[in-house]
Amino acid sequence: MERLKPGLECEMEAEVLAAIVESRWANTTMGVDLQAHAAQCPICADVVAVAGAVLSEKHELRSAASVPDAGRIWWQAQLRARREAAVAAGRPITAAQLIAFGCAVGLLGACFGATSEWFQSGLKWVAARIATLHPADLIPSVTALLTEHFAIALTITAAFLLIPAALYLAVGRD
Amino acid sequence: MFRDTTFTDLDRDNTLAASAELVMDEEAFRAFYERTARGVWAYLTRVTGDRQLADDLLQESYYRFLRASATHESETHRRNSLYRIATNLAYDARRRRRTTPSLGEDGTEVERAAGADRPGEFERNADLARAMAQLKPRERALLWLAYGEGASHRELADMLGLNPSSMKIILFRARRRLAALLGGRDGTS
Repeated sequence: MERLKPGLECEMEAEVLAAIVESRWANTTMGVDLQAHAAQCPICADVVAVAGAVLSEKHELRSAASVPDAGRIWWQAQLRARREAAVAAGRPITAAQLIAFGCAVGLLGACFGATSEWFQSGLKWVAARIATLHPADLIPSVTALLTEHFAIALTITAAFLLIPAALYLAVGRD
Repeated sequence: MFRDTTFTDLDRDNTLAASAELVMDEEAFRAFYERTARGVWAYLTRVTGDRQLADDLLQESYYRFLRASATHESETHRRNSLYRIATNLAYDARRRRRTTPSLGEDGTEVERAAGADRPGEFERNADLARAMAQLKPRERALLWLAYGEGASHRELADMLGLNPSSMKIILFRARRRLAALLGGRDGTS
C-alpha cells in the first residue's frame, strides 16, 4: 500500500480514524489492511495511538460521569436569569438618581448665582469683557481669563470629566 | 400581611420575565442536555484536569449557553457553541488557578474513579491522563475535540477561536506530541 505522503497528512488518515471510531480497526479485513498501512506511515500511527487512547478515555469518563439533573440546571438557570434581570432593571433608577442629583446641584448653583452680589459682579465683568472683545483678541483674552480664574475653570473641567465617569461606573458596571 | 398586587408590579414582573428569557424552552433544553452533558463533562475534566472544577464549569457552561442571544441553525451549531463556551470557561479557570495547581492535576484521581473496577482500563487511561497533563490546555482541547468528538478542522477553529488555515499544522504538532508521550518519548521533538 504505497499511499504515504510526506508532510502533515496522509490520505488514509480519515479512513484510519473512521475505522477506529466505528470499531472496525481490529476485526475486519479492511482493518488488517489499515493496520499494515499504519505500521509504515508515521502520521497514521500517531492517529491510531491518539484516537484510540482518547476514545477509550472518553467512553470511560462518560460512563463515570454523574452530571446534575437537567431539570435542576434549568431551574437554577431560570432563577439566576431572573435575578440578573432584576439587577439590570435597577440600573436606570441609579442613572436617574445621578441625573437628579446633578440637576439639584445645578439648581443650587443657579440660586447662589442669582442671590450672590459677588457672582453678579463677576458676570457683569465677564459681559463687559465679552463686549469689548475682538475676534483677534480672543485667544489672549481667554488665556488671561483662565489665568485669573484658574480655580473656577479647573472645577468646571473636573465636573465635566467626573460626571460622565461617575455615570459610567454606576450604569456600566455588572 | 400581604401587599396588594398593582398593575405596576405586574408590568415589572412581565418586563423581568421578558429580559430573563432563555434561548430555548425547557423541553428542548432537557433533550439537548441529555445528549450533550456527559460529553461536555468528560471534555472539561480532561482539559482542566480537575473533576470538581469540571462539575462547576459544566453548570456555568449551560447557563451561559442558555443566556446567549445567539440563534443556532442546527444541532451541530448549537453543540459547537456550547463547546466554545466550555472551552473559554476552562481557559479562564486555568488562568485563575495557574499559581495553585489543583488536586488531580495529573488526572490520576479522575482515572481512579473512572476505572476502579477495570484495572486494565485504569492503567491505560492513567497513562493518557499523565500524558495529556503535559500538554498545553489548547492542545488538550484540540485533541479531545478532534478525536473524542469528531470535530472537523473548521469546527475546531470555531470552537477554539483559532485560524482555520493553521488548524492542520497545530493539530499535527499536538497529535505528534501526545503520541510521543504515550509511546514513552518526551514529546518535545
